[in-house]
Amino acid sequence: MTFIDSLWVSLLGMAVVFTVLILLSFFITILSQILGLVVKNGQDTNGYAIPGSAAQRTEGTVPYILGEPDGDWSAGELKLIGVDEKTAAMIMAIVSDESEIPLSQLQFKTIKAIDSSL
Amino acid sequence: MSISVMEILLKLWYDSGFPSMSWQQVVMLCVAGVLIYLAIVKKYEPLLLLPIAFGVLLANLPMANLMAPPSDGHAGGLLYYLYQGVKLGIYPSLIFLGIGAMTDFGPLIARPSSLFLGAAAQLGIYVAFIVALLLGFDPKEAASIGIIGGADGPTAIYLTSKLAPELLPAIAIAAYSYMALIPMIQPPIMRLLTTEKERKVEMTQLREVSKLEKIVFPIIVTIVVCLLLPSVAPLIGMLMLGNLFRESGVVERLSQTAQNALINIVTIFLATTVGATAVAETFLRPETLKIIGLGLLAFMFSTAGGVLLGKLMYILTGGKVNPLIGSAGVSAVPMAARVSQIEGQKANPGNFLLMHAMGPNVAGVIGSAVAAGFFLSLFG
Repeated sequence: MTFIDSLWVSLLGMAVVFTVLILLSFFITILSQILGLVVKNGQDTNGYAIPGSAAQRTEGTVPYILGEPDGDWSAGELKLIGVDEKTAAMIMAIVSDESEIPLSQLQFKTIKAIDSSL
Repeated sequence: MSISVMEILLKLWYDSGFPSMSWQQVVMLCVAGVLIYLAIVKKYEPLLLLPIAFGVLLANLPMANLMAPPSDGHAGGLLYYLYQGVKLGIYPSLIFLGIGAMTDFGPLIARPSSLFLGAAAQLGIYVAFIVALLLGFDPKEAASIGIIGGADGPTAIYLTSKLAPELLPAIAIAAYSYMALIPMIQPPIMRLLTTEKERKVEMTQLREVSKLEKIVFPIIVTIVVCLLLPSVAPLIGMLMLGNLFRESGVVERLSQTAQNALINIVTIFLATTVGATAVAETFLRPETLKIIGLGLLAFMFSTAGGVLLGKLMYILTGGKVNPLIGSAGVSAVPMAARVSQIEGQKANPGNFLLMHAMGPNVAGVIGSAVAAGFFLSLFG
């Protein structure tokens, strides 16, 4: 195979990868719009937020779901005191990573910010 | 009957593997030792590197014949039979089943443009392909070497076992070693190609994704990709089947089995037998060093491709996309996404890029499978 041939093959290869993924992107967008209409019509009530997508709150009790609501992951009531949900999600991920215990086997009750002046 | 102790000892010596051992096999045992060290002490992808290393060790013990095919009515070695799963492309596909069951495609569905980054981050595959051809490899070998840039072990093994099985051990070891080294390879390239201002960009939160969208997604992907590239149907089909197990919520036992027991069992068979193909005659060649160098080149260009498209998206969206998430398009889930998160937080401690980087990250898995399908269609 000559150098020019290899260039053509590579360009074609990149074009194929882009075409397939752009097509997928197109189908996903269409799918989301169609399903969005279905959801609006009240036929789908199982929507849930991707972690970190909910509006931030700095204090209070929030239900947390990391992943699917099918029992695969931790779920329950988590009390956040002085921390937002993003920070709480990071803390939980770090604890899981450092302790090498899957999130599905960890249960967090409270995450409280410590006042450094104390 | 008189028995000479010396004769017995000599017979034992000649029946053992020591007299048959070549210096090349000794070198391979040292290589196995280094890989075991990296897996246990340095924790470089230990789940894969450890069984690969032990496979190297087993295959280079003379007279053990663990990889020997059956001959003269005698059964073959244990690893020979286990290796048929690699040869026939069964193990990589089963590993994809487990990966699908473990993967949350939510971030990708929430932002479909992530797929573009997953595509751009396959650049290294084709750059390495061209350079490999220039270095004298044939097109099938060059394609197998290039796929290292996809940073996807099962895909690399699948393609290489079909196109250039003689290069399998070098390619598998290079692919998994570089995946473990992603936190060292990617950051300098990411910093080189982005400005401080770009790295500081905080991305808007992802939209909600409904359960129905997540269920329909694997079905759509399977139909679209497998119709376009039938050669990659075993990988994409299994990946999406695993994901459907996960998202459907009605086959919890199957989902759990796929993402735990099954993938672990298959990983043992796959990694050990891939390691066992690294016999001295085929591994100790200058080509192995070339493959290792080309693998690094492929990883670097794939990272650059993702980041550069990220920069383009940054410009086109008026600064709403952080280019750092582009590097996660090289697959290597979730390590590449973690690198994006870490680099983003270094520039701006309030930056949370992890979920945004997971989109390109899982898109990269599909992208590298598509690239493999392209090579299979062309050279298979």
